[in-house]
Order: sequence, then C-alpha cells, then structure tokens
Amino acid sequence: MSGPQTLTRPLATRIAGLPEILERTDTPMIPEAVIDAALEALKAGRTHYTDRPGILGLRKWVSEHLQQFNIASKPDDVTITCGATEARFVIIKRLLSKDDTILCPGDPTLIEGAAHLTDTKIIHDLDQQHRVKLLYITPRDAPDIVEPLLAQAEQQGWWILWDMSSGQAKQFHPSQKAVLAPRVVSVGSFSDVMPGWRVGWMAGSEMADKLRAYKQSLTICTTSISQWAGIGIAET
Amino acid sequence: MNTLTNPNIPEVVSAVASDGTQLRYALMELSAQYKDAIALGRGDPDLPTPTHIIDVVKGAIEQQRTAPTPVAGMPELRQALAEKFRRENRLPVEEENIILTTGGQEGLFLLMQTLLDPGDEVLVPDPRYTSYDEAITSAGGRMVMIPTDHEDAFNLRPEAVEAAITPRTKAILIVTPSNPTGGIVTEERLRQIAEIAIKHNLIVISDEIYEKFVYDGWKHFSIGSLPGMEERTITLNGFSKTYAMTGFRCGFAAAPRNFIQAMAKVKAVTTGPVATISQWAGLAALTGTQEPIREFLRIYSERRKVMMNGLLDMGLSFSEPRGAFFLWTNSSSVGIHATELSYLLLKEAQVLIFPGTGFGENWGGYLRISILQTTDLLKEALERMKPVVERYRAGNLIPGQ
Repeated sequence: MSGPQTLTRPLATRIAGLPEILERTDTPMIPEAVIDAALEALKAGRTHYTDRPGILGLRKWVSEHLQQFNIASKPDDVTITCGATEARFVIIKRLLSKDDTILCPGDPTLIEGAAHLTDTKIIHDLDQQHRVKLLYITPRDAPDIVEPLLAQAEQQGWWILWDMSSGQAKQFHPSQKAVLAPRVVSVGSFSDVMPGWRVGWMAGSEMADKLRAYKQSLTICTTSISQWAGIGIAET
Repeated sequence: MNTLTNPNIPEVVSAVASDGTQLRYALMELSAQYKDAIALGRGDPDLPTPTHIIDVVKGAIEQQRTAPTPVAGMPELRQALAEKFRRENRLPVEEENIILTTGGQEGLFLLMQTLLDPGDEVLVPDPRYTSYDEAITSAGGRMVMIPTDHEDAFNLRPEAVEAAITPRTKAILIVTPSNPTGGIVTEERLRQIAEIAIKHNLIVISDEIYEKFVYDGWKHFSIGSLPGMEERTITLNGFSKTYAMTGFRCGFAAAPRNFIQAMAKVKAVTTGPVATISQWAGLAALTGTQEPIREFLRIYSERRKVMMNGLLDMGLSFSEPRGAFFLWTNSSSVGIHATELSYLLLKEAQVLIFPGTGFGENWGGYLRISILQTTDLLKEALERMKPVVERYRAGNLIPGQ
C-alpha cells in the first residue's frame, strides 16, 4: 500500500491513549502432560468449535480449584477464555458503563488498556469525586488494604474482580463472604505454564451468563486444542 | 410473519427471539436434548481439518514451538498472508498490512473499535450475520440496513447503498459470499460501490471469509484490489471455513499499516495474540497443498444440489446460492413464522435449522439451512422435514394442535 499509510478518515478517538503493546517473550518448557493432551486432541480431530462455555472437563477443573477456597462453584458458572486478558476485558466491558470508576488499590497495569477502551476510570484511592462501580483486587494486594474495601463493596454494591492470574492465591477468596459472592467474578489463567496457548477463565457472579454471552460475541469459543491441552494441567 | 404467535414455543426460545445471535444459540442448546438431531444450523464445517495441517501442529507442539508471538501475529505467517492477498486477491499489501485475529468474529470487533466513534453509521446488508450487530454497537456505532432480495440473488445494489448514505456514514460492510444468503456481490457491482465509497469518502469493510466456496462458475472478487480502494478498504478473512478448522480460532485482516497497528493495540488489551499453535496451523494451511479446498468445494457442490432438490420437492423456494454453505430458503408458503417452524422442525423432525429472524428481524418468512452434513444425513434430514412442512403448510394444521 503506497502513498499515505492511512485510512482517509481518522481512527476512532479511543485509539489515542491506548497503552503501548507489551510483547511477552517468556518461553517456559511445556509439561509433558500438556503436550500429550494436545496431541491426543489432535489425533481425535478436536479441531472444530467447542461449546460456547468451553469444554466441560476444564470447567470442572476450574470449579474444583475454586472449591478449594471453600466457596461454592459449579462448572456452569465457568467460562473458558482466550487468556485472562479476554476475561478481564469482557468483565470490564460488560459490567461497567462509560465514565464508571474502577477502584484498584494495587498495580493497574493489567486493566489499564481495557479501562481506556471502555472509557472507564481507574483510581487508586477512594475519593469523593468518583463513584466506584468495580473493585479490582489480586492476591498480591495486602489483606489489611483489601478487607476494608470489601466491607465498602458490600455496603455500596460494587462488583469485585478477583484476579487470580496475578499472584498465587493462598486461602483467601472474596466469595468466602456469602453476601459478596453474587458480585464477585474470579479470573484465572494457564499462562504461567503454557503462555502461548491462550487459555484463561472467568467464574462466578450473578452475571456469569451475560459475561459468557459477551465472550461468545467476541471470539465465539476458546481455541479447542488449547483447551484440551489445559486438561493436561488439570490431570497433573 | 414477524411476530410470534405460538404459545407452545418454549420460553428459552421466545425470550431471545428478538436477538438473532442469542436465538441461534438457544436453538442449538435446545437441540442438544434430541439425541438423534441432525444439525443444519451452525456454520461449522463437518469435514476434518486436512492432515498436513494437523501434522505441522503436532510437530510444533512436540518441538515446544508454542511460545507467545507478537500480538499482530508471527512474522512468517503475516508474510505468507500478504503473499496470498497479492497473488489471489490482487491486494497491494505487505507483512505490515496484516494482523492475525482470534477468528474472523474478533477481527470484526477489533476493526469496529479501531474505526468507529459513537454515532458513526455503518451500512450493513440485510439480512446479515447478527454478530456484526454487537461489534458495531459495542463501538458506539449504528447499523443502517441496506435491503437485498431474492429477485436480485441477494446481490448488493449500488443505488441502495448510495441512498442510505448520511453525513454520519463512515463505512460500508460488504459480505461476499454472504452468510446467510449465499449471494455474492458481483465484480460489476463492486466497481460501482467502490466509486460510491471514493465519492463519499467512505471506508469499505469487506468480509470475504467464504471466498473459496463459490459455485456454478461465479467468481469471487476483492473490492480492495480496485484503484483508489487500498487506502479505504479493510479486508477480513480467516482459516476456519476454508480449511475446516474453526476450533483453531484463527482469522486475519488486511488494511493500511497504521490501521493494523491500531488494531494490534486494541487486540493487546482485549484478547492478546492468537494461540501460537493456531498460527502454525494457519501457516501450514497457506503454504501446504490446496487440494483439500478443491475437494471440499466438490463435496459442498454436491450437497448443495441435494439440498436444493429436496427443498424444491417440499415446495420451498430459494435463490440458488452462489457461494458459502447455506440455502436461504423462503418458507412463507408454510404460513407460520420461521421461528415457530424452526422449533417444530426441531421438535418433530429433530432437524436443527435457524429461522431467518436469526439474521434480521425482517426475515420471519425465511430459514437458513446449512449443507454441513454428509449427503446421506442431508437426505435423511429432508425426509424428516417434508412431512412436518406439509403438515403445517397453511390450512393443514394450526401449530400446537
């Protein structure tokens, strides 16, 4: 394409201000179990669309993983996504509206792009100017900071995005407080073990069906072979 | 024909009847209750992914070549795609003009986010694959329908396009071959539409995902190859339909370089790069033998004839599809709404077919029937459908009785 390398009209205004792309360069060795599961899926011809929520075996694993935190979870509440990136974007896009505010007491790097694209604001500390709609927390956030915010979330009816892809969760999960559970969406990822395969998940909340429908409208389903490969992790 | 009157339709269907995408999914989920159902709904090729593609993916996995790629895609695949576009579609593109997407549907989403500001209008052929709706509206855009019809084989009329242009029009969406109609936009019409786009300074989005499946001597043509169009055309395509590999979720788009860079920025914060194994599959598909596509086309041509003959035998009419996998069938002679008829065909014949309203609210007298089953299963589906259609044909029986 010669001449001016541009469309003849400007790009959407939302493009300006999007963060620069951070390319991943990590290349961990993939566990044998993942490779075996992927090869088995290829052999079985599992190269077509999967069900919209993702394959049942993987959703069961996610659900059982969450149950270890003594919270209620069932496979029907789980959707397999194209990495945690897609899960975070879907949640922010679907649960928030233009000019809504996200309270993020920790590192906002992973949600800055999604917030920009959805025209929502991120604040680090509560203030009088902003009406918070979603609390973004991760296992890296200090409990003494998180606990009072959860109390506020309960009072104010905030959504809670619990990002388990950022740091190793030990025993705590915000859904342990039953009154919060309908408004908590958990996000996780298989990327530490198999980063180029693009498998993550989102689970829970009273909006689980609507989040799933939005994911479907974005990418239909997550890469089939990657999902079957994820079963390899589940089995180890 | 545009309102639901049958109280026997289950709520899971009637509750989403006005949302084409959710309606299709509701019917698919309902069909799972019928063990013996023949699915003529979803556009997922039933044929196996060619073995040479599988072999390359196996090799990549065994050799651990699965690390993340750049967000826009692996360079060798982008180069191969640029070469494909130059060779087959006559688009003057290089690697920098290409982005890999997590399926064609995501490509649509990314480009609408990159292109549209709130209030911008996109001209969309009617009927349409309703996933366009979400992509456009989630970017704040507004769809303006361009009518197409049976008499014109669902070709796009340049005069209808021009008549719909307003000061807020930003883009024209062209889908050729078309899902759901199987119509193609002919080269002559594309030349006229290109002139309109240039005259009104509009962007053209050309969805060409079914380009390899055209029948009866019809030819696919890419509008982006026309003079003056390279700077205003975004061409969408993907591997899913062409190579029967929908599960790999690998699509691609060609556009001016700055637009691709912006799409990549959006992709980085929405889904990240396409799975690496899927990109290896795409590279194998492009650079390996193309014989499977010729074989797929032969198979689909045969099935298309079987389905056309069976529908004629049932007294249903259609415009002969010139491309894609579907027969856009006029069911108005049956005398009941297509959503009701789809439900009755599922319940009584165990054949899953999507109603026309899954592709636009004006199409309550149409069905979209896919040919993505074996010839034997298509024949069986037709045998099962015929008595149901005859039973409910106007005047024979009121649904629910």
